[in-house]
Amino acid sequence: MISHRQGNAQRISALDERAEALHLKRGMGIADARAMHPSIDIVEADPEADRRLLEGLADWCDRYTPLVALDGADGLFLDVTGCTHLFGGERVMLDDILSRFFHQGFDVRAGLAATPGAAWAAARFARDRIVAGGEEEALLAPLPLAALRIDPATRTSLESVGLRTAGAVMTAPRAPLARRFGASLLLRLDQAIGRLDEAVSPRLPVAPLSVERHLAEPVTLTEDIEKLVGMLATTLKADLERRGEGARTLALLLFRVDGAVSRIAIGTSRPMREPRLIQRLFHERLAALEQDIDAGYGFDLVRLSVLAAAAFDMAQADLTGEVADDGADIALFADRIRARLGEDAVLRSVAVESHLPERAVATPPFAEPPRRTTPPKKPQRLPAPITIFPPERPIRLFRSPEPIEVPATEMPEGPPLHFRWRRALYRVARAEGPERIAAEWWRAAPSDPAASTRDYFRIEDADGRRYWLYRQGLYGGSQVPPRWFMHGVFA
Amino acid sequence: MAMTAVARETVFALRRQIAKIEGTLPERLNAPAAAPLDADFGADAAADTRASATDLTLVRRGLAVASPDAFLSTGAERLDAALGGGLPKAALSEIHGTQTRDAGAVAGFALSLTSLILKQAQGLPVLWIGTSEIFREAGFPYARGLHASFGIEPEQLLFSEAPRLVDALWVAEEAARMTALAAVILEIRGNPQRLDLTATRRLHARTQGAGRPVFLLRQAAGPEPTAAPVRLIVASAPAVPRATLAGPLAGSIGRPAFTVTIGKSRTALPGQFTLEWNPDDRAFDERWGDERRTEARRKERATNPVPVVSLSGGGKDPAAASGAVLAFPAVGSPAALSTTARDQPPPGQRAAHLGPRRAG
Repeated sequence: MISHRQGNAQRISALDERAEALHLKRGMGIADARAMHPSIDIVEADPEADRRLLEGLADWCDRYTPLVALDGADGLFLDVTGCTHLFGGERVMLDDILSRFFHQGFDVRAGLAATPGAAWAAARFARDRIVAGGEEEALLAPLPLAALRIDPATRTSLESVGLRTAGAVMTAPRAPLARRFGASLLLRLDQAIGRLDEAVSPRLPVAPLSVERHLAEPVTLTEDIEKLVGMLATTLKADLERRGEGARTLALLLFRVDGAVSRIAIGTSRPMREPRLIQRLFHERLAALEQDIDAGYGFDLVRLSVLAAAAFDMAQADLTGEVADDGADIALFADRIRARLGEDAVLRSVAVESHLPERAVATPPFAEPPRRTTPPKKPQRLPAPITIFPPERPIRLFRSPEPIEVPATEMPEGPPLHFRWRRALYRVARAEGPERIAAEWWRAAPSDPAASTRDYFRIEDADGRRYWLYRQGLYGGSQVPPRWFMHGVFA
Repeated sequence: MAMTAVARETVFALRRQIAKIEGTLPERLNAPAAAPLDADFGADAAADTRASATDLTLVRRGLAVASPDAFLSTGAERLDAALGGGLPKAALSEIHGTQTRDAGAVAGFALSLTSLILKQAQGLPVLWIGTSEIFREAGFPYARGLHASFGIEPEQLLFSEAPRLVDALWVAEEAARMTALAAVILEIRGNPQRLDLTATRRLHARTQGAGRPVFLLRQAAGPEPTAAPVRLIVASAPAVPRATLAGPLAGSIGRPAFTVTIGKSRTALPGQFTLEWNPDDRAFDERWGDERRTEARRKERATNPVPVVSLSGGGKDPAAASGAVLAFPAVGSPAALSTTARDQPPPGQRAAHLGPRRAG
């Protein structure tokens, strides 16, 4: 029995058959129930876990149709339009769903109808019924008002005026109903009967292409899964070729026999359709996820979906049949590293126009820029001035400048004589500078402009190591004393 | 004899192929015996060594002839001679730094070698792999500085940061196989257990297959058994002052300099060298002792009397210095007898067609 807190009292929110046999009811206070039957077992409700379980079930239902939507806390909508023939008809499909859920240990009721509203009512009030198109009114007429998916307040007030079944509401004149109970009642009614369309919004985006394989004998070995990926990718290739596209994002769905679903996604730097390469990418991903994927009793359905596709450019091969394309090699290499170690495992560097050294280079994740057929238009801007003597820049830059202790400088604005960095003392043999660097004026202005000024020095210590130090702030003028930082090292 | 020459070429080519399949690195035998490694190393001896290095290309193991392309010449004669022609290209090379604070010098030396490789393999990307630890401790490579000092474009650079050493090694092994990369730099800190003889042997074997160098930078590491044929220990050396027209600028910090010690090499005796990187030419200059350098400079002055420094910095083709070239030769010199010069009126004399000067 599961309890939840409502107001100030613990109440029963759900209970099993044996508790029902003891004449306990939903909504009853826990104290009353305990008084009646002291030996009952009470568990605190956990809505989060319930939600996760429902989402897990929704994932599993993906095997019937890609359009699965959550409905409240305890329901699922499956849009099976066009899918029933794959399973041998509506009745066979419904029985299959019910029996599989039953074997997983769930008590499930289902209804199948032409509208979501009618299916909802059929599942809850008419057990396992298949409602043919046009029979919605006949189904709904004898059912109580709760079958119309209306809020409890409206239901109570409808009951207070004597309208106790859905059929009574349907026969009542519409205008007074709308005036008194609001538009939502008629909207729900129309949606259930099919006068208005109701869209079921699926949980996950529908993949433009997907191929799957049902297995009579569940697979457990990673090698078998990889082989299956190769076979599925071969099937997928023909579809991709017909569309003139290559896959940018691929997802592999593994449906376990007992209902758990593993979803493995990979991204590619450039559109891809070669089955061998797709198989290699999934090989890396599966190797990285080895601990996370629990094969259990095995997977009985494997599906490969293309979540995102892009136009695929064929490369012209030379007469020996070889396509010399180093870029493709590197793109594939980067994809494999990223499939194994995560999206940020391969970085490239991009020069950015900025005065601040740490902003002057960005390291975004590796991505192949989209290839263009026409040359890109030159932006109408003045080119950056080219300096004959570029400023000296270090070859390594610390992620965040490290504070150093400078006891004394020769001149107030000059380089330090000694400094202490990482608990070691360094004697400055030679120094060049300062090079004054300040943030661009359009960046957020600090309260004290002098505090953001940096004077950089190139320093060589007694052993010949070369460092890049800076002093932040100026002596004398401001309240805050200047601070020294180590920002990089030279070759 | 032409037939036998062709036949020998074929046999050598086959042997080279066999050596590659077997994984034996072509090695040269000649250099270390002939090259004296102490400081007083004459110019004529260097010439000798160079001559013998080009003549003898025998190999100790596999009896195959080393292809001339198998070595990356650093450009510093003594170091090349000690290494038997340079660093092997299709091999793992270890570059050590004894302390983390030497990371700048170690990375700088590896990048100089990469820059030398990029002179031949232009446009190919360079992959730099490191653990998160080393990038945090020693700083992340800074593309602006790499471009300024080593001529490596930001677009050519790829970085891979792996949280664990195992992942970094895996990335390096995958990258070592690629021919689409100019060079791979793997940076590790300390002496981790996992980077043992087996791991380096795996890396080395893959590198040999692809024929691209892999530089294993080991910061704050001590020597330990490795499959890499060469281990160099690099520290920074004090830079010479910047050269200006008026002589060295006192107190300034010039080009980067490195002290390179050969820690392990099959052909070389241990030795120490001081190299200076020239960012303008993208080449190494070897630094000699002080008296040697002044002597070399004097000799250079004698052959080339124009000032050493020109506007184009340290490049190979310096712009002609002002002062040495005259636009108009002096009167009375042989050049002044040319027709154009004769037509010119002597200075201070007015041309006849301008007429007499009026007074008032």
